[in-house]
Amino acid sequence: MAAIFKREVKAYYTGMIGYVTAAVSLFFLGLYFANRNLMYASSDFASVLYTTTMILLFLLPAISMRSFAEERRNKTDQLLLTSPVSIPAIVRGKFLAEVVVFAAPLVVAVVMPLILLAFGTVSLVSAYSALFAYILLGAACLSVGTWISALTENQILAYLATFGALLVAYLMNGIQTMFTSGSVLALIVFLVVLLIAAVLVGVACKSLTTGCAVFCVGGILLAVLFVARPTWLLSAFDSVLAAMALFEPFNGVVGGMFSISAIVYYLSVMALFLFLTGQALERRRWH
Amino acid sequence: MIEVKHLTKRYGNHTAVDDISFTVEDGCIYGLLGPNGAGKSTTMNILTGYLSATDGTVTIDGHDIAEEPAEAKACIGYLPEQPPLYQDMTVTEYLLFVAELKGVRKKAARRAAVEEVCGRAGLQGMEARLIRNLSKGYRQRVGIAAALLGTPKVIILDEPTVGLDPAQMIEIRSLIHDLGKTHTVILSSHILSEVQTVCDRVLIIAAGKLIAQGTPEELAGRLAAKGTISATAQGNREAVLQAASAVPGLTDLRVTAEKGGEVSFTAVSESGADLRGALSLALAKAGCPVLTLSAESMSLEDVFLQLTEKPEEKGDA
Repeated sequence: MAAIFKREVKAYYTGMIGYVTAAVSLFFLGLYFANRNLMYASSDFASVLYTTTMILLFLLPAISMRSFAEERRNKTDQLLLTSPVSIPAIVRGKFLAEVVVFAAPLVVAVVMPLILLAFGTVSLVSAYSALFAYILLGAACLSVGTWISALTENQILAYLATFGALLVAYLMNGIQTMFTSGSVLALIVFLVVLLIAAVLVGVACKSLTTGCAVFCVGGILLAVLFVARPTWLLSAFDSVLAAMALFEPFNGVVGGMFSISAIVYYLSVMALFLFLTGQALERRRWH
Repeated sequence: MIEVKHLTKRYGNHTAVDDISFTVEDGCIYGLLGPNGAGKSTTMNILTGYLSATDGTVTIDGHDIAEEPAEAKACIGYLPEQPPLYQDMTVTEYLLFVAELKGVRKKAARRAAVEEVCGRAGLQGMEARLIRNLSKGYRQRVGIAAALLGTPKVIILDEPTVGLDPAQMIEIRSLIHDLGKTHTVILSSHILSEVQTVCDRVLIIAAGKLIAQGTPEELAGRLAAKGTISATAQGNREAVLQAASAVPGLTDLRVTAEKGGEVSFTAVSESGADLRGALSLALAKAGCPVLTLSAESMSLEDVFLQLTEKPEEKGDA
């Protein structure tokens, strides 16, 4: 794992991506820091981080897009997968390197609240807890991007798909409010999700009947729920949507609600998507 | 020692490798021979754990590749068809990375190992070059050097000489020959002369099936008992073939060329007896003057062509 981690970090800074992402992230961080904290004399550093979350949507896919897609295109994955290193170790090494490339420029952000101290009282706890949550948020987004990168060998496709996924997560709060109108809509959305899942199961098992069976059984269950307990469906739907709002827990921390649940949420997102990345690599050996 | 039992790999409805079993003894150079698309690369990818088999087992030095992948992979150095090189690294950087990947823990040990394999693979003076700037022959050498790192017992090389110029081919072959003295080597190729000169044992694969194995001499000898005659006679095709097929003991008539009233064909004498005289008489009687007539002993090339053609013929029938 250490070997892969070291090589990856080095590769980011041999190419342009490491420097470009650092430049972009520092530019916006500096811009908002100067504007909010220095010019308007606010002591709230967390809000600076909050305003730069939009930049992450563009920045993070650029870091994660190459991780597995490039290896696959250049067939260097043959070296990794035939060496005595397990797939989880490969995924961990690559992911850690991405997090380091994302977090390295944020060293500057560690200094920023200290600069503010010279001018008055600053809540360092809120500033650093926000920074911590910011890094966790970025890492969680990177894990999604890593998974998408493992699904394709086209880096541009990986970038766009990750950008789209993160954008949906970013806008999820707004999307959620659109769906409070009724449980019929929830039923339809659940049926669509079920259909996609059934198609995936059918393709995975290479059997039409299995796919149909999954869809029928799931559809009956949903219909029964819809008739008997419509509110269950609605609240379940709501919580599914809420779970997809990747940026919400961070916004909560910025708002002064630092909670263990936010940390647990980000760690579980990372664990889930890194697991899925491993599965995607494993699946490729069987295809 | 590598044991492959009933190895099968299916992609959907297509069977790339079909129930292959063989054993690789230590200290020999094995050649996996077959036409393009025969399943050589797939077999090698399964042996090295890059792909998983649909059915069957691969045991390397007692470690099942599916059950104990790390132990099994540690016994193998692999050079895939396209060397898995990172273009933006120098030769030394790349080899140091591979050494660490293969579990050489100490920095000094890695340096020593890289220096050693650079020497063996003939990479002296190239250590500081970027891999993207290397020629195909040197990239192949870097790939071989990488395969040698971590002191594996078995070296697997997938088409190591493809795309090289003749001088580079000869160099790589002699390098493989040297490797055979210290390692078990499995290489794949569709070039017969290469396998004939380099390998101690040959496995012939066609359409995913293992159709013959043995030393190059054994394989050639297997069919050499049958004498092949090639001849050219004047006359129309029917008359020539009729006269030739009337010769007792002569079978497997194949017309190889036909132009300007001359018919060239080959035939096999089942018993191995020399039937040139009888054939010449028969053709003369039929009024077809014999222009050329020669007996050939079979080279490995002929064996290969005969063996690899057969499954297709069965498929047509």
